[in-house]
Amino acid sequence: MLKYLVVWLMVFTIYIVFTGSIAPLTLITGLIVSIVLSITTAKYLVEDEEKLKQPIRLLYLVYYFLKYITVIELRAHMDVVKRIITMDIKPGIVRVPVASVSRYARLLVMSSITNTPGTVVVDEKNDYFYVNWIYVSTTDPLKARESISLEFERFASRIFD
Amino acid sequence: MNTRILVLILLVVSALSVSIAASLLLDIPVPRGLKELAVYYVSNTIRDTGSPEAVAAIVWDYRGLDTIYETLVLYLAIVGGLAIFRVTLKTITKTPIGLTLFSKTSTKIISLLIATISAAITFHGHLTPGGGFPGGSALAVAAMLIIPVFSMYALLEKGVTSTKLVALRGFALTAIGLVALLPVVRGLEIVTNQKFYPTQILGIPVGGSISLYNIFESIAVASGFIAIALYLSIPEEAYKTGESSA
Repeated sequence: MLKYLVVWLMVFTIYIVFTGSIAPLTLITGLIVSIVLSITTAKYLVEDEEKLKQPIRLLYLVYYFLKYITVIELRAHMDVVKRIITMDIKPGIVRVPVASVSRYARLLVMSSITNTPGTVVVDEKNDYFYVNWIYVSTTDPLKARESISLEFERFASRIFD
Repeated sequence: MNTRILVLILLVVSALSVSIAASLLLDIPVPRGLKELAVYYVSNTIRDTGSPEAVAAIVWDYRGLDTIYETLVLYLAIVGGLAIFRVTLKTITKTPIGLTLFSKTSTKIISLLIATISAAITFHGHLTPGGGFPGGSALAVAAMLIIPVFSMYALLEKGVTSTKLVALRGFALTAIGLVALLPVVRGLEIVTNQKFYPTQILGIPVGGSISLYNIFESIAVASGFIAIALYLSIPEEAYKTGESSA
């Protein structure tokens, strides 16, 4: 039941924000659309309803989002800017193990890696990410994980696992 | 490599010089102010059609009959196209493989967002830019994402088949035709808007028949495009062996 409510709230909010209006027409059509979409799609989107009952996960998500778009992005950008100016690059693809279990946690880790400049996830197979890295400082999977994805994984596991 | 850079520089320089020369020499006049026709639409659309959105009003009211014929022509074109794909072949389904887990998870979220926004575009078509065709096309994009990411067989397993989609399209077009024809019952012209359909329901602006056309057009366009996307995904071997999966 909770999953339908959460998906409904998400769809309804997006509908209102996209339309940019709270006129009766928007509210009524938004209500219809969000109810229909939550009934039809919630079962594909939410696997474990129990996790939705833990608001601490949401707090971690908000904290992670704020930290990601400020500190983590800035750090990665400055590093890439420095490398572009000095042309101090050693590109290559490294294998990075993933410890996060759930699909959303993995998606968050992968998106975080790809969104920070300097690293792109090109493939995943058997609990490993294959990351295209601007400066391959180590080819050892565990050490690479420490510099690429460890911080992301800690948060992702707290939010989604 | 050097030749490529030279050609690139040459292209950029010539494009720039041609556009600068054209703007300097030809002295193309820039339109200032509105044309007479535009002034008419801006000041009269809401009174004439009950909709403040001039484009939707022109498409579904001022030249509504034209649009309905156009919709019919597109329908016949799609029916003709589908007739080339053999619709009645034996149906088989294979296990869907698709892309990686990431692509699938993100596509699930993105498809939901696309569906939400397509509905918003459709339902506000008589008030803001958008309407049935853009809304329906946006929804079709969600299916066109799902087909490569989850594979066509995943859609078929969920019961989304071309046959059903074509039927849905037929239903939506019938509804458009009925909306256009209903005023005739009361002795009005075909494709009458305000004299037959209310422009407001409980104070909410619905733009008369315009919002009805938008909703059904959106269904028709989405189901038509998704049906075509499914047909185009049938591998060539299916035709050779006489088996179809859609």
